Amino acid sequence: MSDLTAALRPGASTGGDALPPTAGSSGAPAGGPAGGPAGGDTAKRRRSFSDLAFKYGMVWLLVLLVGWAEWTYPGFTSWGNMQNVLAQNATIGIVAVGMTFVMISGGFDLSVGAIYAGCSVFFAQFALSLPMELAFVLAVAIGATAGLVNGLLVTALKVNPFVATLGTASVFGGAAFLYSDSSPILNNEPGFEWLGMGKVAGVPVAILVLALVFVIGGLVLSRTVYGRSLYAVGGNAEAARLAGLPVGLLKTSAYVLVGACAGVAGCVIASRLQVGQADIGSTIALDAIAAVVIGGTSLFGGEGAVWRTAVGLLIIAIIRNVSQSRGFDINVESVITGFIIVGAVALDAYARNRRR
Amino acid sequence: MGAPEASAPTPSPTRAAAIRTHGIGRTFGAAVALADIDVTITAGTVHALVGQNGAGKSTLLGILAGRIEPTSGTFEVFGEHVSIGSPRAARAAGIAAIYQELTIIPQLTAMANVFVARPRSRAGLLDERAMRRRYDELSARLGVHVPPDAIARDLSVAQQQLLEIMRALDAEARVIFFDEPTAPLGPSEREALFALMRDLREQGVTMVFVSHALDEVLSISDDVTVFRDGRLRASRPTSTWTKQSLVDEMLGRSAEIALAEVAATTVEAVTGAADAPLVPAAPRRAADAAPRAVATSTAEPGLRVRDLFVSGSSEGVSFEVRGGEMVGIGGLVGAGRSSVLRALAGLDRRARGELWIDGRQVPWPRSVRQALRHGIALLPEDRKGQGLVLGMSAMENVTLSDLGAVATASVVSMRRMRRAAGESAAGYGFDVRRLDEPARNLSGGNQQKLLLARWGHRRPRFLLADEPTRGIDVGAKAEILATLQGLAADGMGVLLVSSELEEVATSCTRVFVMSGGRVVADQPIDLATRSVEDTVADILYAAFHVEETHV
Repeated sequence: MSDLTAALRPGASTGGDALPPTAGSSGAPAGGPAGGPAGGDTAKRRRSFSDLAFKYGMVWLLVLLVGWAEWTYPGFTSWGNMQNVLAQNATIGIVAVGMTFVMISGGFDLSVGAIYAGCSVFFAQFALSLPMELAFVLAVAIGATAGLVNGLLVTALKVNPFVATLGTASVFGGAAFLYSDSSPILNNEPGFEWLGMGKVAGVPVAILVLALVFVIGGLVLSRTVYGRSLYAVGGNAEAARLAGLPVGLLKTSAYVLVGACAGVAGCVIASRLQVGQADIGSTIALDAIAAVVIGGTSLFGGEGAVWRTAVGLLIIAIIRNVSQSRGFDINVESVITGFIIVGAVALDAYARNRRR
Repeated sequence: MGAPEASAPTPSPTRAAAIRTHGIGRTFGAAVALADIDVTITAGTVHALVGQNGAGKSTLLGILAGRIEPTSGTFEVFGEHVSIGSPRAARAAGIAAIYQELTIIPQLTAMANVFVARPRSRAGLLDERAMRRRYDELSARLGVHVPPDAIARDLSVAQQQLLEIMRALDAEARVIFFDEPTAPLGPSEREALFALMRDLREQGVTMVFVSHALDEVLSISDDVTVFRDGRLRASRPTSTWTKQSLVDEMLGRSAEIALAEVAATTVEAVTGAADAPLVPAAPRRAADAAPRAVATSTAEPGLRVRDLFVSGSSEGVSFEVRGGEMVGIGGLVGAGRSSVLRALAGLDRRARGELWIDGRQVPWPRSVRQALRHGIALLPEDRKGQGLVLGMSAMENVTLSDLGAVATASVVSMRRMRRAAGESAAGYGFDVRRLDEPARNLSGGNQQKLLLARWGHRRPRFLLADEPTRGIDVGAKAEILATLQGLAADGMGVLLVSSELEEVATSCTRVFVMSGGRVVADQPIDLATRSVEDTVADILYAAFHVEETHV
């Protein structure tokens, strides 16, 4: 949590959401050392302290949750259980990183569940006859293409993202059912299970993929020209256009990315279950959106970060893990998650109003 | 307040007053928009309010309609006090206002729009028949017929305006305000509107209208009130006015007023600031030598526009801007100035025209990126809506125009971003210690400096500045104008649109004047031979199509 202490220094907190400390990046963003201007008066410090309470509200919640989980359920922080928590939620997390890109660019994607399910079917089918690597690349490319369709609908045809992806969800989902003839595609080829069940140096491959997607996504969003441009497009599309950014291209690219992420996640789940199924994606879109929103990425675009999505994902995953291992009714879990989603968005709205 | 020099209003006698105001005033922050207005609108007349942009006429309309709350004063409608700052109270008193931005709901039918605020109902259900009957009555009264079942968005602007008038009459309005009613209308539609206004006057309706078209004012109104700098300067029957005397009164040339002083202080501030290190550091070869001389002697043409057409706002506009030159576009609101800038910046796909850069013809820009490739950048009028990403830090906003310049292999270096933004921003008088702050927290002046620094970072060849000093305090205004002059001195071609004509007169080397979508005058500005005051007058005479006979 050295990022947090860095953010506590005056001057460094302002860059907050736009220059997020990335999970896995070393040290504080460059805003820290060079930036310490004169502003150190008490009023400012008090304000930035209460800003911190809001800005990092979900981080505090996560810390509390971990403590509570360990208290109710002593084996919680064991490596074995941690592997469980992460591997079970790897697919949601992978999709959620792509969703973070889309939402920061001011968009929204409801079709990721259908893309995810469709790619699981394609991957299972392709890997029956092709080398696994090639099957993977093809499946992910199909996911990205589906994302491109969404992006073009939203940018070129100017269809509202909610409606566009609601429609394509139905199209993609239906197509996956047609392709698989509404039946699961079993794949027991040796090696097919590696992506979902294999281990490298004792760590499940799915978790490595998840970590890789988060780190790359975080770095791209916070450190590259592309990421910065995406924040600008989501923050004020008109200003970005007048500054000379290719707004349509940037927005489209975010949909392509989330499509590719859903493709990767689809491959992971197919490998894990050793079956490709067109009916597995019903909840993943909303779960991924929940992780992004709980983390505090704004629904209005322009604000948010990949590390925030990591926090949101962990909150959802821990609640799920604890209620499963304690034998809670699944509906209790859903009630708790719902409260947290609404609470997170309410907190965001409150902080937004207070800033005015 | 008690302005000693305010001419005594002399309303047309004998008839009752529809509206009488007492010391109405309104300030916005430190700026006085309207001071101490006592005006009488006689019942059953057409009363015109005229004045330059920002003279206060629209503010007065807004106050009387209850849309703007005055900071001082009261008014009566037909002898009864009306509580101020309440659109409902104004409406109840019989006032209806028709603004330039019509309040028609495009998806509804013509009839539904007329009765949107007062639908007829029976037992809680809409009474279509009663509404249709009333609609026909109103149509007959106006002598016009807008098809009641037409969807409003399919109607012409003139027809939509008629719906607003019908709405006002349905509410039994006794006084109707029109804010620039003829601006969006074609010639025959204007005539129809005037005929309608005369009819309404016969029927005893009182009308107040704001217009820049002085010929119209003289032909339709019974009384004219002239505003200047937020004060009422004269209010007399129309028969005592001529076009010339109206313009003179708007300019304050007959009465010796503070215009010259205002202009003089601006010049001082500008030149004073230009000596300070406000001018961007980069290649300032010409900055020290007299910039005006350089600008006029540079012969190579920079940007040339021929026959620019934008439907509804530009009708064959031609002009040129050389590198190193700062050119103003003069004119009144609605003359088509901003539309020229928007078209050049690639924001208007309907624009047709020919564009030469350095003598070479290039396709007309169809997007902002194309315009930028030609080296043309826009400083937009709406800083918050179109300029800044408010949640981003100041330095990010500056470098947004060219993030690649602060990145290696497309990875942004925060160190280089800070340095580049700092270098650019410092050149525009922006406090570099505030580079980390979100743009949202900055004042209007500082936000404008950021946008200038953004283009300073990318260095386009031509900068289109649309109202760059609007809503900015006086000191920052002078700095921003000096900066634009500095950019021109460094070889950039700057095109300035400003409603403050003094700014154009004091900071530009040439001005072309637009009116009704056309260029009506194109002349150099030479303050050595002609004063700021006279230059402003020249621009306005051209804009109003007055042949100057005044010396």
